[in-house]
Amino acid sequence: MFSDMSAGKPGSSLLCRPASGDQDQGPVFERVSPAYSLCSERYTVGERSFSRQYAHIYATRLMQMRPLLSERAQQKWGSDVLIRKLCDLQTGEQCCIVGTLFKRMELQPSILKEISEEHNLLPQPARVKFISDTDELILEDELQRIKLEGNIDRDKCVTGSVIAIFGAEKNDGKFTVEDFCLADLPLQTPRPELTSDRFVLLVSGLGLGSSDGDSMLGLQLLVDMVTGQLGGEGEQSGAASISRVLLAGNLLSQNTQDKDAHTKPKFLTKKTQAGSVEAMRLLDELLHQLAASVPVDVMPGQFDPTNYTLPQQPLHRCMFPLASVFPTLQLASNPHQAHIHGVRFLGTSGQNVSDIQKYSSMEDHLEILEETLRLRHLAPTAPDTLGCYPFYQKDPFILEECPHVYFSGNAPEFGSKLVKGAEGQEVLLVCVPDFSSSQTACLVNLRTLTCEPLAFSAFSAHGEDESEMNVSH
Amino acid sequence: MDELYLDNIDEFVNDHDKIVTYKWLSLTLGVHVNTAKQMLYHYLDHKRKESSDPLHATYLVSGKFVDNGQTSHKVSVVKEDQLEDVKSKMSLIVSVHVYSVQKALLKDSGPLYGVDYDAVKDNLKNCSRYSAIRCASAVPRSSVELQQARHTQPAPAPEPEHKKSTTNGDATPASKPSTKPQKSIMGMFANKSALKNQDSGKEVKSEQKEDAPVVDEPKSKPAAKANPMMNFFGTQAAKKTVKQEEAAPSSSSSSAEQRRPSSQPEETHAAAAAAAAAAVEPPKNSKKDSRSKTKRMEDSDSEEEKMDKKKRRRIKKPEPDSSDEDVIPDSPQQMETREASPSPKEEVEPVSQSHGNCEMKTRKRRRVLKSRTFVDDEGCIVTEKGYESESYSEAEDDVPKDPIPAKRPASSKPDEKKSQKKASANSNKGTKQASIMGFFQKK
Repeated sequence: MFSDMSAGKPGSSLLCRPASGDQDQGPVFERVSPAYSLCSERYTVGERSFSRQYAHIYATRLMQMRPLLSERAQQKWGSDVLIRKLCDLQTGEQCCIVGTLFKRMELQPSILKEISEEHNLLPQPARVKFISDTDELILEDELQRIKLEGNIDRDKCVTGSVIAIFGAEKNDGKFTVEDFCLADLPLQTPRPELTSDRFVLLVSGLGLGSSDGDSMLGLQLLVDMVTGQLGGEGEQSGAASISRVLLAGNLLSQNTQDKDAHTKPKFLTKKTQAGSVEAMRLLDELLHQLAASVPVDVMPGQFDPTNYTLPQQPLHRCMFPLASVFPTLQLASNPHQAHIHGVRFLGTSGQNVSDIQKYSSMEDHLEILEETLRLRHLAPTAPDTLGCYPFYQKDPFILEECPHVYFSGNAPEFGSKLVKGAEGQEVLLVCVPDFSSSQTACLVNLRTLTCEPLAFSAFSAHGEDESEMNVSH
Repeated sequence: MDELYLDNIDEFVNDHDKIVTYKWLSLTLGVHVNTAKQMLYHYLDHKRKESSDPLHATYLVSGKFVDNGQTSHKVSVVKEDQLEDVKSKMSLIVSVHVYSVQKALLKDSGPLYGVDYDAVKDNLKNCSRYSAIRCASAVPRSSVELQQARHTQPAPAPEPEHKKSTTNGDATPASKPSTKPQKSIMGMFANKSALKNQDSGKEVKSEQKEDAPVVDEPKSKPAAKANPMMNFFGTQAAKKTVKQEEAAPSSSSSSAEQRRPSSQPEETHAAAAAAAAAAVEPPKNSKKDSRSKTKRMEDSDSEEEKMDKKKRRRIKKPEPDSSDEDVIPDSPQQMETREASPSPKEEVEPVSQSHGNCEMKTRKRRRVLKSRTFVDDEGCIVTEKGYESESYSEAEDDVPKDPIPAKRPASSKPDEKKSQKKASANSNKGTKQASIMGFFQKK
């Protein structure tokens, strides 16, 4: 644990007189420099052409995942199991079918319904969950689709997941499910053995630019701690072993998403600056302090000034005039994949997880994260309910190699879990909490593949009654 | 020597009433952060022993904290009175040190952030100089390296930009041919009327606002060339162009294509216009076809057509964009003034058309239009020129032509609007003379 490590280091107490002037200034620890390699080619979108249909993604997704699922099906139900296409189905025959799930939801917001005149519908109020009891599961393959019923948990499934189903088609044209299997974890290259503790700090949801400034001190404490200004010698030497900081999205707060520009007349908003301008300046200064001392990866999130569709492209370096001077600043895409000290990190800023949360009965971000890992797909709901670029050659969200650390940002609370796969894979799942509300960051220890939360707090006029973990207002 | 800092801190705290955080102190005195922390402790200790002045301090406590089975590393800033309390809650203390010293009791930790923020902002370059961690790779890049980095980045960027520019470029040439046929059609009718020139000029102006400046040049070219032709056709053509011009801007859509359809319906009102519109519609892509057709149309243009157009123009004038025009074209006089003002353009148009090449024609026409704008830029001089050509009705439009090649700057929208307004204002003066012509054409 970080605390244990830092406490173990000897060092002079700081509650004493400073030493006499001739001595050296103070201890200076060298930051460990990680072996870092960025694997971002998958998620950079080159020339963008939106003239394509989104159906191509599904086609290529199915095409890529069909062989994997066929293999899994044979492993699970015997190598002689019949794997049929939907067009070859015969009633009553037990077989296995592979296809993409589609969940028809009554409450799913549909623009067609909204503008349809015959329905005369008022726009739907914002809901937290869009599942209902009338949902139906349908399996689609290249040519046909068939309704599913039976031994499958409809509320846990989401549209866009590719699965293999074992069962039989009954006389009424529906497929009765007896069992199903997912693509499960891909193969993993084993991570190297590390001799000493190396940490990676994961933070998300900085929420800069919000009118609420209470979290700013916590943020400053975080920066001070990582840059080695805070704390005693033990802590500072511990902080020196933080080899990288990863900012996982939502650097700007939701308040900077200025909707006024649409509603207010031009003459009122002419001289006003967008909230995000000031917030980006703050972010630039923050990154300057961080980048001067530690390599930083910056991933954009839902409220950051980059494109909306996944994969979100890296923030442009022109927005960081102060910080981009340092080569330690790495502007990354969302989703982000990198090797740090040989440990493979893969993660998103949380949009995929929160989207699945809206369309399924799962609540816990960690559970959803595991589900996406088992589905072998980062964002199955893209492009149905999650904005996505119309890929047509390959689906970059399919996990081809198993990561060692799989994270998602902007979770409501911290969570971490070690998942073991069938072929000996070990994945650490981390749900990085939203810093602006929880004042908590995550420290991942690369040697032991564990994660611990790092909480900051300050005192306020409200008193000390509230729990010290969350500075909630 | 060593005690100097005590006096410094004393001064900051007591005299300036500042909140002295360790970070601020370290940046101000230029010492290592740990030294600053120790200095603060020493000062606190020293002062408390010396006098009973109220001095308050905040401490930083960090350590292991167990909460519902979840161990975490907790870092917190606490007030002095809560220090022991917080320390007892932690299972393992990693570090404790003085965070800040101040005279007043702080209720909120907000000001601490403010102090640190200011300190860091003032010393942005040195913010990590006094910290306990040095990072070897965090060396600011030199400007040379930065430029190289920028060049590699823009390399992919210009590629999409080129593509974008090509797409945009495709749009603009597309709009060009679309406008050119439009103008050529207009020119056909307008050949005879200077008004047409003005119309197309206005169209050009509005188009200029939207299209890239590249488009302006070809437009201005036909405009200029049309000038000499204007003399041939006189004000009748001018009136027609006015009508069309008004029709064109009335659409007020950003794309030329949209304008084309909107002006086209208006054109269909005129007998000749219908044919021209039909002619223009199909050959959107080929300039030449449309222009050749318009040329044919021009040739076949009859006075009646012009008259019809004029009539229609009159009717239509009230409709469209009043934004540019101060005068609402209700009165025939006003109409005539408008007719008069575009007359130079129209004169230019027929001139351009007379010059063999279709493309040349449109370009000349356009050039005329553009220069018209320009001239307005300088003030009333423009309208006077327009007026002159109109009255003489055979005088070479060299005057408006000369400034055209001379000035080819992109005029700003307000300039164009002003110029249009001025043109309209000035055109009022010209109406009287134009009205005579209009009188004849009404037949």
